[in-house]
Amino acid sequence: MAVAALFHARFPLIARRTSPSSVSYYCPRTLEFSHRLQSIICFSSSDGDDIVVSEGPNYVKYSDEDLMKQCKFETFRVSGPGGQHRNKRDSAVRLKHLPTGIVAQAVEDRSQHKNRASALNRLRTLLAIKVRNKVDIEAYSPPPELLQILPPKSTIRTSSSGSQIGPNNPKFVPGMQALLDVISASDGSIADSAKLLGLSTGALSRLILSHDGLRMAVNSMRAAKGMKPLK
Amino acid sequence: MIRNFRFTSFLSAAKPLTSFACSSSPARHPPQFTSSASTPLRITPPKTPLFLRTPSHAAPLSEVLKWQDWAKDLASSVKNSSTKSEDSLDSILLLRELKWLTEDSITDDITRRELGGEKSVKLRASLEELYELWRERIVNRRPFQYVVGCEHWRDMVLCVEEGVLIPRPETELIVDLVEEVVRRDDWFRRGVWADLGTGSGAIAIGVGRVLGGCGRVIATDVSPVAVAVAGNNVGRYELQGMIEIREGSWFEPLKELEGKLVGLVSNPPYIPSDDIPGLQAEVGRHEPHLALDGGVDGTDSLFHLCDGASRMLTSGGFFAFETNGDKQSKMIVDYMNSDLKNIFSDVKIVSDFAGIGRFVTGFRL
Ligand SMILES: C[S@@+](CC[C@H](N)C(=O)[O-])C[C@H]1O[C@@H](n2cnc3c(N)ncnc32)[C@H](O)[C@@H]1O
Repeated sequence: MAVAALFHARFPLIARRTSPSSVSYYCPRTLEFSHRLQSIICFSSSDGDDIVVSEGPNYVKYSDEDLMKQCKFETFRVSGPGGQHRNKRDSAVRLKHLPTGIVAQAVEDRSQHKNRASALNRLRTLLAIKVRNKVDIEAYSPPPELLQILPPKSTIRTSSSGSQIGPNNPKFVPGMQALLDVISASDGSIADSAKLLGLSTGALSRLILSHDGLRMAVNSMRAAKGMKPLK
Repeated sequence: MIRNFRFTSFLSAAKPLTSFACSSSPARHPPQFTSSASTPLRITPPKTPLFLRTPSHAAPLSEVLKWQDWAKDLASSVKNSSTKSEDSLDSILLLRELKWLTEDSITDDITRRELGGEKSVKLRASLEELYELWRERIVNRRPFQYVVGCEHWRDMVLCVEEGVLIPRPETELIVDLVEEVVRRDDWFRRGVWADLGTGSGAIAIGVGRVLGGCGRVIATDVSPVAVAVAGNNVGRYELQGMIEIREGSWFEPLKELEGKLVGLVSNPPYIPSDDIPGLQAEVGRHEPHLALDGGVDGTDSLFHLCDGASRMLTSGGFFAFETNGDKQSKMIVDYMNSDLKNIFSDVKIVSDFAGIGRFVTGFRL
């Protein structure tokens, strides 16, 4: 066993207490996010997390740079002038996605730059989980990013879908979002969704259970409809 | 006196860079020697940071855990005073540092001891040294980065030691500003850049990596320790063909480049002299005052840099300076718009992530 892991186990989560100082922030170019969500309907799912239903742009597909432009980026700061005056390893960062209000944080890395990258990755996953894009189930044609995360035995996969992308690959995130859109449009039914995706119910369940965030999102969706959770 | 050399010779002392896993990992092999280098002043070569040392020590797992418990207790025992003074230790931050110290000093593989069956752990420092290092951190307020000998800055790991300023997170943004300018116009990629008062070489290396293969960076510092440490860091990232370190004061070592620079960046000392005695212990007691003290109002070096920028930059050239904050940034902008009128364009203040007007940037007309 790794000593570092052992150490983590012995040191329960080291959390920040200071709150972010919300002043201004650096943005590489002029902010220009006039994309108006045609309709944002917020409703609370059973566990209290806000789900955003969007008919606007699909943020998960934005480049890092474009996504960053839609965010307010803050560091956690104690009072004082900062810069050369200070040596405090508080490189914790907080990223707020302005169009949706979703917030991602990162504290665990040793450089601010890396914390920013971690927070951005986390934000992408949160966007995939929390923002539902409407799909038309009747005339459904799965996007390539979804085909890529499906197991090879899916009958709707084609040779151009490539090999299966697993849950640890960053490219899993857009596929996961498209999958959640399908399940949401099928009112949480795994069987119905599986049919659309050319999979058995069991195979789709296994795919859902392979990613913690995905599993929790599906289960909260099901709980809201009074359905039993997947285990 | 100006001496001009490439700092490959110090690398002879660098131990092989072992087990350093990072997406943008620096050189695993010490770079080649160049025999043309003149002899540096500094006798002691840069220190090897903890994480690059060979794991030549071992200790029973139970002893290592005992050290961790002791260190954790010591970290938790610091007064978590409600007085939110900049100068007090904070156990939450200390516990995080302890986790990093553990990562840097303990290898992941635990081997079973042949006799007795007790597990033993490989260490990059002896347990006694680890006790001593943590005591220095807490009792002497030695900065964590000097304790482990490195600082994680942007996507890099830079060696630091006493005598060299520990690069600050705010300064990471200077490299972003340069990246932005370079992305907009390839012209910046091909020219010569200068980083004055380079310290650990942080900005110079960050800029070098942004420029890619084509450009050149000259980094200067008046401190021989900084010159040596920066040279070592440049070598670790295999950029010695592109980044040249020159010892000397500000623009002095750059005479042949007058009017030729396409970019000029600097984080000069900017703390007003009167503030030096009241600095946080880690900073005031351990970091070089040469790197911090900016004279009466902190702007001595900054004004010197402004004047130099007008002479050294070629038409269209970019500059970015870090300052103490809003007040100094305004002073610099005012100076450029009055005394240096019609020399620069687009002079503006850029805020850091905490919202402080931390940088002044602009272009030579
Ligand atoms: C605030 S530190 C910045 C170090 C590094 N650039 C960074 O951002 O981490 C200022 C640096 O300026 C150097 N310095 C001080 N006086 C100088 C001078 N007259 N000429 C060149 N460098 C000088 C110091 O040695 C120190 O390394």
